[in-house]
Amino acid sequence: MTYQPSPSALPPLPAGWTEHKAPTGHTYYYNAETKVSTYRRPGVAPFAPVAPVAPAAPAVVPAPASAPVAAPMNPAMSSFVQHQMVPQINLSDPAVANAFMAQYAQTQQPQQGQRGGFGAGGRGGMQSRPRPQPVDKPRSKVAIPGCEPWILVYTKYGRRFVYNPVKNASYWRIPEKLMPAILELDQARIRQKAEGKTTEQEQEQQAQQNEGTTDAEKASSTPATEGQQAEAQHDYDSSEYEEVEVTDDEGAEDGDQDAEGSSRKRQRTEEPTANDAHAEFTEADIAAQLAAMGAEYGDDAEMGEDWEEGDEGLPLSESDARELFKDLLNDFNINPYSPWDKLMEEGKIFDDARYTVLPTTKARKEVWEEWSRAKIQELKERRAKEEKKDPRIPYLAFLQAKATPKLYWPEFRRKYKKEEPMKDPKLSDKDREKYYREHINRLKLPQATLKADLKKLLASVPPSQLNNQTPASHLPPQVLCDIRYISLDPQVRDPFIEAYIQGLGPPPEAGEVAAEAEGEEEKKAREERRKREKVLQERERAVAEEKRRQEKRLQYERARLREKERELVRAMHVGKKGLVSQLAGGTQTQVEGGGDKAESS
Amino acid sequence: MPAIRHASKRKPPPDGFSDIEEDLLIFSNKMKDAQNTPTDNIPKHQAQWPIFQIAHQRSRYVYELYYEKEAISKQLYEWLLKNGYADAMLIAKWKKQGYEKLCCLRCIQTKETNFNSTCICRVPRAQLKEDQEVQCVSCGCRGCASTD
Repeated sequence: MTYQPSPSALPPLPAGWTEHKAPTGHTYYYNAETKVSTYRRPGVAPFAPVAPVAPAAPAVVPAPASAPVAAPMNPAMSSFVQHQMVPQINLSDPAVANAFMAQYAQTQQPQQGQRGGFGAGGRGGMQSRPRPQPVDKPRSKVAIPGCEPWILVYTKYGRRFVYNPVKNASYWRIPEKLMPAILELDQARIRQKAEGKTTEQEQEQQAQQNEGTTDAEKASSTPATEGQQAEAQHDYDSSEYEEVEVTDDEGAEDGDQDAEGSSRKRQRTEEPTANDAHAEFTEADIAAQLAAMGAEYGDDAEMGEDWEEGDEGLPLSESDARELFKDLLNDFNINPYSPWDKLMEEGKIFDDARYTVLPTTKARKEVWEEWSRAKIQELKERRAKEEKKDPRIPYLAFLQAKATPKLYWPEFRRKYKKEEPMKDPKLSDKDREKYYREHINRLKLPQATLKADLKKLLASVPPSQLNNQTPASHLPPQVLCDIRYISLDPQVRDPFIEAYIQGLGPPPEAGEVAAEAEGEEEKKAREERRKREKVLQERERAVAEEKRRQEKRLQYERARLREKERELVRAMHVGKKGLVSQLAGGTQTQVEGGGDKAESS
Repeated sequence: MPAIRHASKRKPPPDGFSDIEEDLLIFSNKMKDAQNTPTDNIPKHQAQWPIFQIAHQRSRYVYELYYEKEAISKQLYEWLLKNGYADAMLIAKWKKQGYEKLCCLRCIQTKETNFNSTCICRVPRAQLKEDQEVQCVSCGCRGCASTD
């Protein structure tokens, strides 16, 4: 965080002092004997004598115009002048503080190189640090009871200042007349914190108690705080006057320790809390700081304009919380396709109050999932409804705007490769090149030819799409994605087209259009039907032929079968008779044969 | 080896790619960063952890878009797998019961381990000792059992 000169360059600490690191990263020093802790390295005598500063009444002190010499001859001298200057100006006045800052920054710059490694008690090194410009914002406000127009405003980084809306004045340093009331507020909050949850009734009681008991408390606490205040002033005065890192909560620690009054509007230019101030970390201080921080976390949930202590816990219903979180996602234009981790890494939504309506990250993730699913569905539906746009239309429009005969296609492509129409994946590079060349060639043709071509194109569009009621800005896509449409210069083309449209007839009647469309469709359908029927007939014929052939075969087979059967029957029939006759015949023949044989033998 | 085609001559990705293109680009940039960071002063076994983690995240992203949110079409999902935007083998494991949160494929590979068992990150929290912090050697996973 803060730049520290190397330890070897530092003078050793006096006895009794020890060096520590604060949680914020600052090094601080602590004396166990005197129980004093300080950011400033002890053992170095403080610089200039301290001029007292009037805290509550910001008196206008003339701006130190000539004091820090514009071009200092001697760096040591100039630094001395500056250190002397710092305490003598009353910085509680915003105007003065601004003027001072401007001066101081001016003289500061040229020195940086010259005084690189000097070791004036570890203070000089801070000057060369690049100054961060923290952006602080008011976060919540509390009316100060008893001092009516005044309100106490807490900033994002945990600091606070008082603001008077009537006079439109704000002070970092809390004026003394408000001090007791604010102390009371702080004490009430500490007590509340300690008790944990307090109901409103209890708070009221507390308030009453406070009324009663504060006198005694005030008596005991005010001297202490005044002492602190004096000390703080002293430290602020003698210390380096510089801006604070945003993480440094010191300024918020207690009203009496952030030691500046400055305009609320100028917060950015001056962040003048006393960084090197004596920090007395007593237990009460720490408790107060913790309480303040706790209160701020509570504030996150409401952030309401008229936030008041007491109405913290208006519990949201479950569904309301979910809806709120979804609204948050919608408002930040979160991409529903993105992963949850990305959302968490970016952390855009953390600062929104609605982030805290859900108690756990798990619940948030669940709601996010539900939301993203619904959102994607919705996107899908919307896209389905949208008509598909021809990718050629934007490309041709782009060509008309950008194409010149002076560029060859590769040059043109290289020159405009980042343009959207040149990257569209729906249109291939080949097509793009083709259109480009064609367009360039056509640009060389005489105007009359181009006009004739355009007329031809317009004539080719059916009257249902292009007629005298078609607005010139809504030409049918058929026209828009034709190369002939873009060949003519728009200044010539548009009046020409308008004139042409004027000369067209009215749109055909709805029925006619329908009939026409239907007729066309019907024709197509009929043709198709005829085709189908033809095919069917052919098939039928083929089938019939097959059938016939089969039948023929069947009959033939059957005939054969019958023939065989008959043969069989005949054979059967022939059977005995035949056998007998055979036998008879056989015997006859045998006899005959025998006779023959006998004869022969 | 197939010819490497110029981007303008390649077939365009399926519809819906433009929705997730940006997030995929973020993932690929992260991956490139992880690949290019020097690994001089980290233990050798940890050198590839970020690579495994980013690959897991990216696969998970594609998996959830397709299977849980149903935000991308099947064509696009397959195109993404084919073009290496997600690990198809890992996704195949996630579809099985007991492997819903698997960190990487190496952690269920039993053959290359000393005791022929899966990685320590596959052990359910309930079976580990109280407050035992584990981080597996292969991908730095701190536990990917389905019951965790």
